[in-house]
Amino acid sequence: MTPTLRPVFEVETASASHPGAADRPRVSVVVAVTERPSSLDWLYREYSPPIRALGEPFEFVFVVDRWGTELAQSLAELRQEGEPIRVFEAGHGVGESGMLEAVRTHLRGDVVVTLPAYPRVRAEGLAALVRKVDEGVDLATAKRTAIGGSFLGRLQRGAFHLLLRWGIGGSFEDVASGVRAMRREVLDEVPVYGDLVRFLPVLAQREGFRVEEVPVPQHPEDSRPRVYSPGIYVRRIIDLLGLFFMVRFTRKPLRFFGLVGTLLSGIGTLILIVLLLQRIGGQAIADRPLLLLGVLFFVTGVQAIAMGLIGEIIVHLSAGQGRREYRVEESVREKI
Amino acid sequence: MSSVPELSVVIPVLNEEENVLPLIDRVRAALGVATEWELVLVNDGSTDRTAELVANSAAEDPRIRLVTLARRYGQSTAMQAGFDHARGRILVTMDGDLQNDPLDIPVLVAELEKGWDLVAGYRERRQDLLVRRKIPSWIANRIIAGITGVKIRDNGCSLKAYRRELLERVHLYSDMHRFIPALAAGMAGARISEMPVRHHPRIAGESKYGLSRVGKVLVDLLTVKMIRSFRMNPARLFGGGALAAALIGVVTAGLALRAYGAFDAEIAGSVIFAGVTLLWFSLGVFLFMLGLVAQVAVSTKQRAGRDPGPLLHEVHT
Repeated sequence: MTPTLRPVFEVETASASHPGAADRPRVSVVVAVTERPSSLDWLYREYSPPIRALGEPFEFVFVVDRWGTELAQSLAELRQEGEPIRVFEAGHGVGESGMLEAVRTHLRGDVVVTLPAYPRVRAEGLAALVRKVDEGVDLATAKRTAIGGSFLGRLQRGAFHLLLRWGIGGSFEDVASGVRAMRREVLDEVPVYGDLVRFLPVLAQREGFRVEEVPVPQHPEDSRPRVYSPGIYVRRIIDLLGLFFMVRFTRKPLRFFGLVGTLLSGIGTLILIVLLLQRIGGQAIADRPLLLLGVLFFVTGVQAIAMGLIGEIIVHLSAGQGRREYRVEESVREKI
Repeated sequence: MSSVPELSVVIPVLNEEENVLPLIDRVRAALGVATEWELVLVNDGSTDRTAELVANSAAEDPRIRLVTLARRYGQSTAMQAGFDHARGRILVTMDGDLQNDPLDIPVLVAELEKGWDLVAGYRERRQDLLVRRKIPSWIANRIIAGITGVKIRDNGCSLKAYRRELLERVHLYSDMHRFIPALAAGMAGARISEMPVRHHPRIAGESKYGLSRVGKVLVDLLTVKMIRSFRMNPARLFGGGALAAALIGVVTAGLALRAYGAFDAEIAGSVIFAGVTLLWFSLGVFLFMLGLVAQVAVSTKQRAGRDPGPLLHEVHT
C-alpha cells in the first residue's frame, strides 16, 4: 500500500510573489530525508543553482520524516523568497522507497532527479545528469569519480559492485550513489519497495529502460572515510542476494529451488544408496549416524522443491493479472 | 485500418533481418485478399535491422503491424505481447525463421473452424539434424505426453492456430510457450486437433536454441504437471507428500522401538532411528502446512477476480 503524505508547504497557485510556481516545472528534484541530513536550506542553496541554470522551470520536493518536519522549517525562509519548494511529511518508518512511491503522483516535472539529503556529488553534476536524459537516456545515474582521500570507501564500493556484476551482470560501478535523473515514466513503471530503491538503475534496466552511468565529481564531504557497523555489511549482502533472486528467478522460482532441492536430495539419495548396499552386504546400518545425515539431506531437498512449487503456484495464479510482463518500446499501428 | 481483422498471425522475431521480408511476402501470398487478416510481428529485442525493415513494410501495408519490446524477453513473453496486441477472432503463431510455411495457415484455420479450440501443427518431414534435434525432440515429446497426459506429436512446432477465447484463458510467462497445448487442455479444457505441416531447413540467420534447455524444460514440465493436476486443489499434492513422509516416519519409528526393545545392545541404533523418524515427521508437517499456504494463494486469487472458466461449445441439436 502506498503511504499517504501530508503536505507541509504546498506551492500556492500562480501569483506574483511566487514566480517559480507560475509555470509547470519541467524538472522535479526529490529529496527523501530519511536520515538526519545536513541542513535542508544549505542543500537547496548548494544544488538549486545548476538546475536553475538549465533555464527551465523546476521544483524541489522534500519528503521528510516525522522528526524531519522541524528541519523543514529552515526552508520556510526560502519559500518566503519565492523559491519553488514543496515539502511533504510522511509517516514514520516509511523509508526511502515508500517516500518515493508516495510522492510520485505529486511530482509535476517530466524529468525527476533524486538527490540524497546529504552531499554526495558536486552540484554541477546534476545538470550533466539532466542533460543526459534530454539526450534520450531514460535514467542517468551518477558515478562518483573520487577526488582522492578515502581508499577504504572505494574498496568497499568496488567489492560490492564486483558481487553485483558477478551475480546480475551489467556494468554498474556505482549503482547506489542515489543521485539520478530519469524520465518520469521510469518512476511510474518500475515498482520499488523495501530497500530496492537503492538498485533502481538495475531494476530500470531490467524493465528495458536505457540506463547510463555518468561520471560526476564526488563531493568533498562524501569522500571522508567511513566504516559502517558489521550489521550494515550483512544487510547489503542480503540485499544483493534478494536482488539476485528477484532478477533471475521471480518468474521461475522452481528453477532455483529445484536446483537446490535436486542437489540436496541427490546427495541424500546417494548416501542412502551406499548404506543400502552395505546393508545388503550384511553390515548393520542402524547405528550409523550417516543414516541420519542421508535422510536429513533428502528431506531438506524435498522441502526446497516443495517451496519452489509454491512459488510456481503464486506466479501462475498472478499471470495475466495486473501489470504486463513486458514493456513495449514502440508499436507501429497501435490498437485501434 | 478501421475494421477488425478476422485472422491475426503472430510472429515473434529476434535478429531475423535476412528472413523477415521474405516472411512478410510469403504471408501476404498465402493469405491474399480472401479474408481480413493482420500480421503482428513482435520484435523481441533484435539488435540488427529487423525492426527497421518491418517498420518500413508496416508503413506501406496497413495489415502489417510491429510491436517492439524494450529488451529481449524471450519467446513466451514475446508471444504473449503479440496476443495482447492482436485483434483477430482466430490467432495463428509461427516462427520467424521461414522454417514454417505460411501456406499452411489457411489449412490450420480451416481445421479450427470445424470446432476445435487449438490446432497444433506437426512437422511431418522435419529438416533438422537427427542427433542434435530430432532425437532429443522425439524423447521430449514422449515425456511431455506421458507426464501431462496431453498427447501432442510435436510440441516444438510453433505453427498453431487458436480461438481467441482460448488465449484469454491461457497466459504465457517464463518459458511456457512450449507447453501451450498442455496448459490449454489443463486450464481451459481446450479441444485440440493436429495437422501435418511443411517444414523447411533454416537458410539464413542463426538458431536460438541449443541442447542446454533440457534441464529447464524438465523443471517447467514439473510445473505444468502440477498446474494441470492440482490447479484447484493444491493441498492434495502437498497432502499426499505429507502423508507419504508420515508413513515412512511410522516405519522408522517402529524400527526405533524394535532397536530400543533389544536394550543396551542396540541403544545407538534406536537413537539414530528416532532421529530419522523425527526428520520424516517434520517433513510431513512441513508439506502439510505448505499445502495450506498453497490453498491460501489459490483462494486469494479466487477472491481477487474470477477466471473466465473452461471453454464451452454450444451443441446444436
